[in-house]
Amino acid sequence: MRVSYKWLKTMVDVPEDPQELVAELIRTGTEVEGVDTVGQSFDHVVTGQVLTKEPHPDSDHMWVTTVDVGAANLGKDGSPEPLTIVCGAQNFNAGDHIVVAMVGAELPGGVKIKKAKLRGVPSCGMNCSARELGLGSDHSGIMILPEDAPVGVPFAQYADLADTVLDCEITPNRPDCLSMIGIAREVGAILDRDTHVELPAVRAESGAPAADAVTVEIADESLCDRYVMRVVRDVHVGPSPDWMVERLAAAGVRSINNVVDITNYVMMLTGQPLHAFDMAAFEADENGQRHVVVRAAQEGEKFTTLDGKERVLAAGMGLITDNGRPVALAGVMGGLNSEIEDDSTDVLIESACFNAGRTSHTSRDLDLISEASLRFERQVDIDGCVQVADITAALIEELAGGAVAPGYVEVYPRPVEPAAIRLRLERVDAICGAAIDPDFTRRSLARLGCAVEDAGEGVLAVTAPTFRPDLVREIDLIEEILRLWGMDRVTATIPAAKNHVGGLTPEQTLTRKIGRILRACGLNETTTYGFAAPGDLEKIGMSEEGRGVPVRLMRPLVAEQSEMRRSLLPGLLESVNYNEDHGNANIQLYEVGTLFIGRPGKSQPKERQSVAAVMAGAWGDVTCNQKFHPLRFFDGKGIVEELLAQLRVEKVRFRPCDPESYGFLQPGRAAEVLAGGTVLGWVGEIHPKARDAYGIKLPVTAFELDLEALLRAARPQGAYRAFSPYPAVEVDLAIVVDESVTCETLEQRLRSAGGKLLSDVRLFDVYRDEERVGAGKKSMAFSLTYRADDHTLTSAEVEKVHSKLVAKVCRAVGGEVRS
Amino acid sequence: MGLIDELERLEGEARALIAEADTAEKIEAARVALLGRKGSLTGMMHMMGKVSPEERPALGKRANELRRLIEGLLQQSASAVRADAMRSLMASEAVDVTLPGIRPALGHQHLISAIIEEMEDVFCGMGYTVEPGRQVETTYYNFTALNAPEDHPSRSARDTFYVVDDAAGTADHAEKHARGESDILLRTQTSGQQVHALERGELPIYMISPGTVYRPDTPDACHLPQFNQVEGLVVDEGITFGDLKGTLDTFIRAMFGQDRKTRYRPHFFPFTEPSCEVDVSCNVCHGEGCSFCKHTGWIEILGCGMVDPNVLEMSGVDSEKYTGFAFGIGVERVAALRYDLPDLRALMTGDMRFLAQF
Repeated sequence: MRVSYKWLKTMVDVPEDPQELVAELIRTGTEVEGVDTVGQSFDHVVTGQVLTKEPHPDSDHMWVTTVDVGAANLGKDGSPEPLTIVCGAQNFNAGDHIVVAMVGAELPGGVKIKKAKLRGVPSCGMNCSARELGLGSDHSGIMILPEDAPVGVPFAQYADLADTVLDCEITPNRPDCLSMIGIAREVGAILDRDTHVELPAVRAESGAPAADAVTVEIADESLCDRYVMRVVRDVHVGPSPDWMVERLAAAGVRSINNVVDITNYVMMLTGQPLHAFDMAAFEADENGQRHVVVRAAQEGEKFTTLDGKERVLAAGMGLITDNGRPVALAGVMGGLNSEIEDDSTDVLIESACFNAGRTSHTSRDLDLISEASLRFERQVDIDGCVQVADITAALIEELAGGAVAPGYVEVYPRPVEPAAIRLRLERVDAICGAAIDPDFTRRSLARLGCAVEDAGEGVLAVTAPTFRPDLVREIDLIEEILRLWGMDRVTATIPAAKNHVGGLTPEQTLTRKIGRILRACGLNETTTYGFAAPGDLEKIGMSEEGRGVPVRLMRPLVAEQSEMRRSLLPGLLESVNYNEDHGNANIQLYEVGTLFIGRPGKSQPKERQSVAAVMAGAWGDVTCNQKFHPLRFFDGKGIVEELLAQLRVEKVRFRPCDPESYGFLQPGRAAEVLAGGTVLGWVGEIHPKARDAYGIKLPVTAFELDLEALLRAARPQGAYRAFSPYPAVEVDLAIVVDESVTCETLEQRLRSAGGKLLSDVRLFDVYRDEERVGAGKKSMAFSLTYRADDHTLTSAEVEKVHSKLVAKVCRAVGGEVRS
Repeated sequence: MGLIDELERLEGEARALIAEADTAEKIEAARVALLGRKGSLTGMMHMMGKVSPEERPALGKRANELRRLIEGLLQQSASAVRADAMRSLMASEAVDVTLPGIRPALGHQHLISAIIEEMEDVFCGMGYTVEPGRQVETTYYNFTALNAPEDHPSRSARDTFYVVDDAAGTADHAEKHARGESDILLRTQTSGQQVHALERGELPIYMISPGTVYRPDTPDACHLPQFNQVEGLVVDEGITFGDLKGTLDTFIRAMFGQDRKTRYRPHFFPFTEPSCEVDVSCNVCHGEGCSFCKHTGWIEILGCGMVDPNVLEMSGVDSEKYTGFAFGIGVERVAALRYDLPDLRALMTGDMRFLAQF
């Protein structure tokens, strides 16, 4: 809402400096987005007086004038020097007072005044018409000022054109502030001052009553709560008076003609949108009567709005119709077929209350937001429709010479009662946390337009005005009191939180710990979009099994984001690709995020937390002190092992992935991660085909674990276990086995064969050599640590246990000791 | 030549021998040659018995003196050699300490999750719980239970991502579906968690709810279709607007600095009343006004208000007995303000150069 300070001044006493009011508006909840000074575009435009007027030697319609602009133009000697200006107007004489645009001026239409030669005669400025100054449409000649007009005064100052406009952002709960009267009332309440608004009244009604001229019917009551029409006949359509053009311009509305301008002006004044129809455009019945019907549009119905655009309507949009034919889009915009034109004489004035929601839908669906629709969608004052119609009729009568028909036509099916609210003063203090003077409360509410009466001890009976649809309950009034009293005056306190325990849950603490471990392992946390492209799993060969059905967006921004993700991997691969493309060779990322597992027949998916990582390149670039190997399977597996160990997950196993179910992983370089019998997730190298799908060149190692399963598998810290104070004996053992024998098998055999004395098994070498070890075989070298808790082992003891172990293990795995 | 002269000569020899010994091995050899079982001095000591008793004390004294001298010289020599060895070890081990260190590769936390953790810690310190919620919500929790009117523009498919409702009976909403709407959506705000918390019926409530929300904004420098909010809710007996101010002042100073000022500007939100927006004093100009704060001296930081009694009543909480406040803060906005981020999209790309800065 653009608020003219000059206009506002006429309604309420405001501070001289607009910035003071701005601060008060912001303090009480009206955001001021801008403070514009208008009227200053008239730089280098001054008042002047024509000294001489001679015919142009080379033209039969132009004049060469000299114009006194006083001190606005000084000669070389510093004394005032008249300007020579070539002028084509015919309506002036020497001695007339006029408006001069000097060199350097820029006029509202964008015309820049420069030194020029017109048919050989130099001209240093322009004598202006009203239209050239943007002050109306009069272009019949230059603007002649009264004889007592001073000479050489800036025109903006002379015409009192300078004004300050406050661009106020009105919150959706305050439709009343989308009007000058509403703003004045608000300012009056903020500053505790009276407002004085004079409204024009119809002087005389004449001719046949309005009811003879028109009937109104609301065919769809959900579209319109009240519809009022007044009739004004014998109107002279023409330009509006300057003061109105000026006020409309400040409000950001272009002047069109007096009738249309009046409807806009009254809307800016009262907040009630109006529409003026040319009555002649309506079909008259045999009695000369017109029939206005408010109805819903049919699907596909076409209608051309005032802006000349043909609109295809959807079923349910509100229409004002004449004999079935649409003449306006209810509450949004009038029609081209019934607009006021220069030759219009009889005018129908509509002052209605259209349904907020329906208007909002219509304007948004058509992408057509007007000053009217903005007001209707926030709710106009249903009680004011008749009064506003009267103001409009009175102004048309005054400014366009119309004859106002007696009475008005109205449909108002369910009259609205103002809200009656009980306000407990104690409750005001209890909500605000401040002791607010009851007198302040009474006065503030009254200034806002409420009727306030005492209703017993500490209770006020408040009747809220209908223009404040947001004031219905006690809390609504408390808000008004608090914002006017001042939120900044309330003392800050901290609640005691009695009988409440806060803090993170064990799962939340553990989830944070997982992040810390992964970062300690060198991974960087990232976030990717929750959206997914359709078929993103198929694209990399990831099975949909166990991942439900995709959650699909009805209107995605882009096709690649039309579903919700079911794995973190595609998004992370996207990031790997991004990094590769941007020259980042070493990539180590992890994400903790939500997966959306849609369930057929269910409205909402299961939301599952997941933790995943991708690694490519190396840990870093080579320095003189550090060499890094390319990150591959065992780097990923190592992090998973470390993570599970830190979380004290027991019975951890890595099982080779079945290539059928894990098509996105490279066979032989991928494992399922298990804790006991539970699959926590997988770790492996991304299949080259899957990498290709994302345009990734480097090998990528990744893992993804189900966060909830991980949290369930995590064990708390156990009690301290003493370690043996006795020395250990280390024995190396290399066993040659078939390739098919896994490290896991061998280690299990060693541990079970070693019994209690075998305290540690560490694989330190795997050796393959066809000649020395044999084809299809490998030598696995272990370092075995023997140690007893209660004594120093003798070599005989170790010898006995070790030889038993060797025999047992070799038998079990079909291996032999490599000597 | 008498023994005494022999000793004299031996001293000369010993001095020469030890002086020549410049390694631990040579010193040991000298020790053996002089003081060992078959050493020269030891041999001379053995000859002592053949000396006359009159000469013996003087000779014995001289021999012992010589022995101490040799021992002293050997020790001196040994420590000189050790010092030498240490010196050369140090010289050989010395490095250019300005060469790069061997750094373990530690990862970095994403700044958004770091800020969320920081906020969680501030509120946990004030006795709050942390309760994240679902991202795929119903219109009831995202809008209706939060007092949003049925036809509010924010409900339209322009401002909300709706998802295809797979449950039976959705055909009833044919009209809605035509507008791209259903009863199921990607939550546009974390405020729905207020309702979930209230419905649980365990009072009092002191909780925050951090989480991801979605809005159909094409990504640009200042917008992402997916971002994070932290919602807060307190419901207890006797909660006042002053409590809201005290709590948020504490929070804002913890996040932005103890010297920052706050300003409470009345505003409108459907689910709180009275409602306000909170500004924090500009850290660039300290309230003087500059381009960073658009010449106001203030930076808008969050929205908040007293919980609307309707919201309490809809969830079965007695709004006469209980009052409360709620607030919501955009995490990306805090990140952008704190770190002067020029483009929010960098938060989502996983660019290693970006992540490694935080």
